Amino acid sequence: MLELRDVHVHIGKLHILQGVTFDIKPGESAALLGRNGVGKTTTLRAIMGLAARSGGKISFDGTDLSSVAPHKIPRLGIGYVPQGRGIFPNLSVLENLNIGTQGKRDTEREDYVFDCFPRLKERLKQSGNTLSGGEQQMLAIARCLMMRPKLIILDEPTEGIMPLLVSQIRREIHRINQSGVSILLVEQNVETALKLCPRVFLMEKGVVVYSGTSGELKTNTEIVHRYLGLSRKPAA
Amino acid sequence: MIDTLLLLSLNGLIWGLIIALIALGLSVIFGLLDIINIAHGDFFMVGTVLAWFSLQVTGNYWAGFLLVPLICFVLGAIMQRLVIQPIRGNPALSIVATFGLSLILQEVVRMTFGATPRRILPPIQGTMSLFGIQYDIYRLYAAGFSIAALAAFFLFLNYTKLGTWMRAVRHDRDTATAMGVPARLVYIMTFAVGFALAGFGGVVAAPITTVDFRGGVDLLPVCFIAVIVGGLGNLPGTAAAAVLLALLEGIVQSFANPTLARITSLLLMSAVLLLRPQGLFKGFAK
Repeated sequence: MLELRDVHVHIGKLHILQGVTFDIKPGESAALLGRNGVGKTTTLRAIMGLAARSGGKISFDGTDLSSVAPHKIPRLGIGYVPQGRGIFPNLSVLENLNIGTQGKRDTEREDYVFDCFPRLKERLKQSGNTLSGGEQQMLAIARCLMMRPKLIILDEPTEGIMPLLVSQIRREIHRINQSGVSILLVEQNVETALKLCPRVFLMEKGVVVYSGTSGELKTNTEIVHRYLGLSRKPAA
Repeated sequence: MIDTLLLLSLNGLIWGLIIALIALGLSVIFGLLDIINIAHGDFFMVGTVLAWFSLQVTGNYWAGFLLVPLICFVLGAIMQRLVIQPIRGNPALSIVATFGLSLILQEVVRMTFGATPRRILPPIQGTMSLFGIQYDIYRLYAAGFSIAALAAFFLFLNYTKLGTWMRAVRHDRDTATAMGVPARLVYIMTFAVGFALAGFGGVVAAPITTVDFRGGVDLLPVCFIAVIVGGLGNLPGTAAAAVLLALLEGIVQSFANPTLARITSLLLMSAVLLLRPQGLFKGFAK
């Protein structure tokens, strides 16, 4: 489904991605983990066409994404929940939801996302900046779902969210994955990532240094310590 | 004295509505594209000149109300693609580029239209009694057209897909792109809409001003003052500030000369910059 082969990204003189290679299969849920500054967000931005690649290839369902304009990438079926949520504060909840949909309002799809996040239905006319952090995160995920994605890329979806809402967001991500949508999750909260994603990639200095299952990682304390800086095993 | 005050206040109010159209274009281009558009006054001038040509070709002034904004929209789209797009992300360079654009527009108009200022007779002649004074009927029509265009612009911005995209890209281009918004098209459309608004202002204003290849030069500072007083990026604030400034200048002109009236506007702008740098109308921005 999604394949990255030897992807390089330079930002100014800095060589941020130094040959990232991994793939996501249809229906799979995978986590991309690593310490701050190893290139996780840049990898996601490169997939979405927001960071210019200096080498390598990214393809989705057989389409080379280098030949696709960045604004057309979501239409291929890749949804993106950026770090910090990326809610447009000057747009209403309804406008935020429908920003990427083409043509008329898709009320059937709206009903589906309101079923996932009922709280949004009560706030349709409110501006994006009046929502709490958790509600904004729900809106960011719902906005992706409106475009009927095959793969959703989430960049730290539980960052800065109160614990009660973290579990709800975690539940919804799992439910979305169960409905057949693939997930690529970047997460500082290792526990959340390992709970949601059976497959894990670890990044270090712009490359993927480890690929395995979450079960293997839980038992491999040396890897966890070396690449994630955790001194004890993450909780199951 | 009261009659003069009333007359100049009304003139100021109506001129303010026209300036609001032009300043809105300036504000939307600055807010979205980070372009300090030195050529924006000349967009208004091009509107007045095209209104004159439209009258010569069709023999009907009203045709210009449709034709001129359309031509300006197309010109704006072409200019964005050829001049603005290559320097995107460099606001300092935009001053040089749009200054060059301003000179080119003025010289092209001087070559085709000529250097002699001309007048266009209002399509509706006559006066009517208003608050005890005889007032030009066309000026009231100009006010009506300006209010209608301002309302249409805000409806477009708030209730159309392109308007929503413009507000989204203005806030965060990358996220908007990742949601499927064609940001480059939005940039082209924004510049084109800004030019069309100024051009429409030109058609409305041509019968109450002179048509001159330097006609935009005096207007540009007023538009910048309106954008600053209204608050950078605050579109309703910009429109309100344009009306307020022109009304203020009209009132001052009833007992002092136009230079003093302009000094009053500059003093107001300085006071706003010192005491309320976010603009007089913070809170109305969307």
